[in-house]
Amino acid sequence: MSKLKYVGQSLKRKDGPDKVSGRAVYTQDVRLPGTLIGRVLRSPHPHARILKIDPSKALALPGVKGVITAKDTIGVKHGFVETPRYPADQDVLAIDKVTHVGEEIAAVAAIDDITAQRALELIEVEYEILPGVFDAETAMQPGAPEIRPTHPKVKEDLVNIAGKTETEWGDVEKGFAEADYIREDRFENQLRTHGYLEPQVTLAHWEGDKLNVWTSSMGTFIKRAKLSRTLGLPYSQVRIHKTYVGGTFGGKIDLYSHEYCAARLSMLTGRPVRITANREEIFSAYRHSQTLTIEIKTGVRKDGTILAQRFRIINNAGAHRGSGVVVIFLAWGFIMGPYRIPNLKYEGYAVYTNHTTRAPQRGHGAPKVRFAVESHLDMIAEHLGIDPITIRLKNARGPWEQLPNNDNTHEAGLIDCIKMVSQKSAFLDKWRQARPPADSKSPLRRGIGIGVTSYMSGTLIYPNGSGVVVKLNDDGSLIVLTGALDVGQGAETVLCQIVAEELAVGMDDIKLITADTDTTPQDIGAWISGMTYVTGNATRQAATHAREKILKVASEEMGVPEEDLGIEDKSVFNLHDPQQRMSYAQVFSASVAKHRGDTIIGEGFWRTMRDEPTHPSLATTKGRWTENYAFSAQVAEVEVDIETGEARLIKAYTVHDCGFPVNPGLIKGQVDGQVSMALGQAFMEEVMTKNGYTLNPNWLDYRMPLIHNMAGSEDFEVITEQYRVGQPYRTKEVGEGLVSGVLAGIANAIYDATGVRLTSAPFTPEKILAGLRKLEREKARELA
Amino acid sequence: MILFDFEHESPSSTEAAVARLNEVGEEARFLAGGTDMIPNMRIGIVKPECLISLTSIPYAPPALDAKGWLEIDALTRLSEIEHSKLVGDAAPMLAASAHSVAGNQIRQVATLGGNLCQETRCLYLNQKHDFQFVEPCFKRGGDCCYPFPKNKKNVCWSVYMSDIAPVLVALNAEVSVLGAGGEVRLPIAALFTGDGLRPHTLNPGELIRRIHIPPAPSHFGWGYHKSTVRGGLEFATALMAVALEVRANGLVCSDARIAIGAVNEGPVRLDKTEASMKGLELNPANLRMLADQASQEVNPLPHHGFSKPYLRDNIRVHLKRTLALAVERAGTRMKEDRS
Repeated sequence: MSKLKYVGQSLKRKDGPDKVSGRAVYTQDVRLPGTLIGRVLRSPHPHARILKIDPSKALALPGVKGVITAKDTIGVKHGFVETPRYPADQDVLAIDKVTHVGEEIAAVAAIDDITAQRALELIEVEYEILPGVFDAETAMQPGAPEIRPTHPKVKEDLVNIAGKTETEWGDVEKGFAEADYIREDRFENQLRTHGYLEPQVTLAHWEGDKLNVWTSSMGTFIKRAKLSRTLGLPYSQVRIHKTYVGGTFGGKIDLYSHEYCAARLSMLTGRPVRITANREEIFSAYRHSQTLTIEIKTGVRKDGTILAQRFRIINNAGAHRGSGVVVIFLAWGFIMGPYRIPNLKYEGYAVYTNHTTRAPQRGHGAPKVRFAVESHLDMIAEHLGIDPITIRLKNARGPWEQLPNNDNTHEAGLIDCIKMVSQKSAFLDKWRQARPPADSKSPLRRGIGIGVTSYMSGTLIYPNGSGVVVKLNDDGSLIVLTGALDVGQGAETVLCQIVAEELAVGMDDIKLITADTDTTPQDIGAWISGMTYVTGNATRQAATHAREKILKVASEEMGVPEEDLGIEDKSVFNLHDPQQRMSYAQVFSASVAKHRGDTIIGEGFWRTMRDEPTHPSLATTKGRWTENYAFSAQVAEVEVDIETGEARLIKAYTVHDCGFPVNPGLIKGQVDGQVSMALGQAFMEEVMTKNGYTLNPNWLDYRMPLIHNMAGSEDFEVITEQYRVGQPYRTKEVGEGLVSGVLAGIANAIYDATGVRLTSAPFTPEKILAGLRKLEREKARELA
Repeated sequence: MILFDFEHESPSSTEAAVARLNEVGEEARFLAGGTDMIPNMRIGIVKPECLISLTSIPYAPPALDAKGWLEIDALTRLSEIEHSKLVGDAAPMLAASAHSVAGNQIRQVATLGGNLCQETRCLYLNQKHDFQFVEPCFKRGGDCCYPFPKNKKNVCWSVYMSDIAPVLVALNAEVSVLGAGGEVRLPIAALFTGDGLRPHTLNPGELIRRIHIPPAPSHFGWGYHKSTVRGGLEFATALMAVALEVRANGLVCSDARIAIGAVNEGPVRLDKTEASMKGLELNPANLRMLADQASQEVNPLPHHGFSKPYLRDNIRVHLKRTLALAVERAGTRMKEDRS
């Protein structure tokens, strides 16, 4: 029993054969007879009052089966956050006014696409155009057009404040007073989208007393909750079915208007309704990531020890609160995780603007925060004459540190991560060696840079916990019921490995039923970086429960005490006489016969921070955030052409403390995926907007990296936890925290290569050339 | 999805296609590979009632004519040009430019003629107009210009982004155009108006029949560069094509043609820089000087988020390198000639 057979192995994906053979059913593949095509009418204005909506001509068009406007709703709002402090502020269809281009005003269901399109054109809407505001810092100032009222608890003379996070500890002013060196910097980031290849798509079918929904999502239970509430239906009347998902990256979590519209139109027409967003809609009306402007002031001792830090972060949250008030909370978490900051003052503002509503995106603010902090730290180190590794080791948190919010770093491997990545990348040998000798004719310069991150592994936010059921079949194979959704991260494979390990059953003997709100237990969903930990432990517990039943029955049948029994290959055996054994099929029969029909079902449930009553305060950061911090240190090597300003990532090194790696191959996939997302963010991706309109709403002009843009990526795990059968285990986040260090590392590496310090992403040739020119002018001035 | 109804016909000869288009009239358009036309129909900037497809028309492989000119049928797929041994030998710059277009799947269907006939591009123009930019711009027959609101109604600063046209201009190619009145042969430059509203001189019912490329002179060198952000599946930030000849006794330039693409309403020749090159020794210092001059001679339109000063910078550096490559090739070719 001591040697692990399944867990810790790079076993092949459970969903792999379906996906590569085309058998996998995605939402668009679900076909129901008589399905109508739904389309959504969207605002052509960033900010306008709706004076009148007249759908009569659309309704009169032959082939149109239904049209809905706000009048057809029950007026229940929804939002990414729905708390007493931050109540929902989004209407499923706009009432009275629209606050961003593409906001949903009405929806039609028709017999085909062309009829639906014509129907949209026939809906008459009268607008009174209101002045718009698009820059967050402008939108905050008194006198700016008011999109929504400032949050009542924010007492400053500011407008359009959707929410504020404010926290401090220690004495910041005292810390600055004691500092040998103080530095202030400001960092900005571009608007970036998720880039999920499968578009947003929903099929809804109302059968009179039951709403069946298939929708591309990151978790079916949150969809059920929000859809039920906005429709005024009990949860039991709404069933979200599982479909495979073609990419999410944070962009498919809470409710989207088209999901409501498909459902409502189906209820009105009695026919299935499908709404598939086209790519232009996704780019110009759906939710992108958050753009954060980050101002940092740091005071340090001569030796690089951080004494005090002050942060002011402004988030351009778009037209609704969305996850804008979450990201200003999380930004604090991403700041305080990796380094000791004895005195900290933090303020984060989420500001309404007439941009599209925002959503989480892989890392949910961490890449932007770490880009800022790690660049700033390198600037400080340079001033002090300290190398980047030393200053990080000086401040890095170690194991068992109690954090100001009462979290604990537990078996933190950060120091090992920094040391190992430095050694694996030969950092200090390459650092500052990049610039070639003066006589070199080559315009290429290489540079190296480092970034450090910590990330939560699950926290408390609806639905908070996971339940799992493991059922033994009478032939000894297993069915696992879990609400977890595999969005490509490998959930099904990992959960299967855990069951296989706990019950000594082969991967192919386990069938998973997942993410169906009617038949599977509730689950946290694939969106707070806790699935392997939370759902995984629930799965382990369910399997343990089943194993205990199996061993009890076997013990009775075999006349051997339970502690003398082992399991292997779907059977129980006597540890002292391995020939004496019973197959699970025999155990099943015995259990049914002698235990009043018990068919051996194991139940498990798990929740992160099981004894915490609720999630932390988004406004004050009070309360525990997570019990499980992942840590990483990453190094980027770049090559910059100093004549053209063109730069590329040559190689990324990732060393991370992932706790225990359940499937190292899947982890490697996560690392490589995040390296590619980081380099896209660093060099090419940007949603360009002007006055709230999107200028590049397509894959041609929004440039995602291609296969030949990929950089070499090496990764190493610092394993700080062990897996023991029957015991709770700790895994740490690996799915989204690793964009950050690469992005930060690239910025620092560009500086190392060229002397150009970039404080705004993306790092375009234009910005690098401008930086090089500035350096030339400074040099010329010095010589003069 | 194309959200309007249209007819689709598939004649079996170019003559029949031209005749049919003239019969149907202005509501008809030719369809070749469709990689420009179909997206434009999808986003509603063209709404033909009838598509006359050229895809069933047989076409001849590239060949040399009696005078040694390379002849390429306009219906030749870009992937065929890219991989043709004859094209690679006779006009390697054309093969290189065909290879640089989009990605392989597009090159398998896109045609040479279609590439030349592609519409000009602009971020505002090349998207659906359901709820963004609903009022039609000048190019779509309306009354405004989104990127340049001060522009007059007869000015459209959209850019012509063919990767191949500048190469044909630099190679001094000619084009046969088939119309109702028969075939005419023109210098390639005569295809382009330099007007973003109507970038081509072709009349409705006229189509490009084939391209003719003169044989390369003996001391010839070429250079081609497509500046991009990610190196594939995209149109150029800026594009440069250089064809030059050096004198037999060294690296003194005897003739040169430079065409810049993707930054104006049509491919642009750099007449002044070309004139400066003639008689000049093409050493590194002079190439730098010429590239500086060229970057001032071009007048790039800011496009797709790239500013005019950046486009000048981009062209300055990459043209210098492209010229150097052309000189190197001319030198290599000279050595080959001697041996």
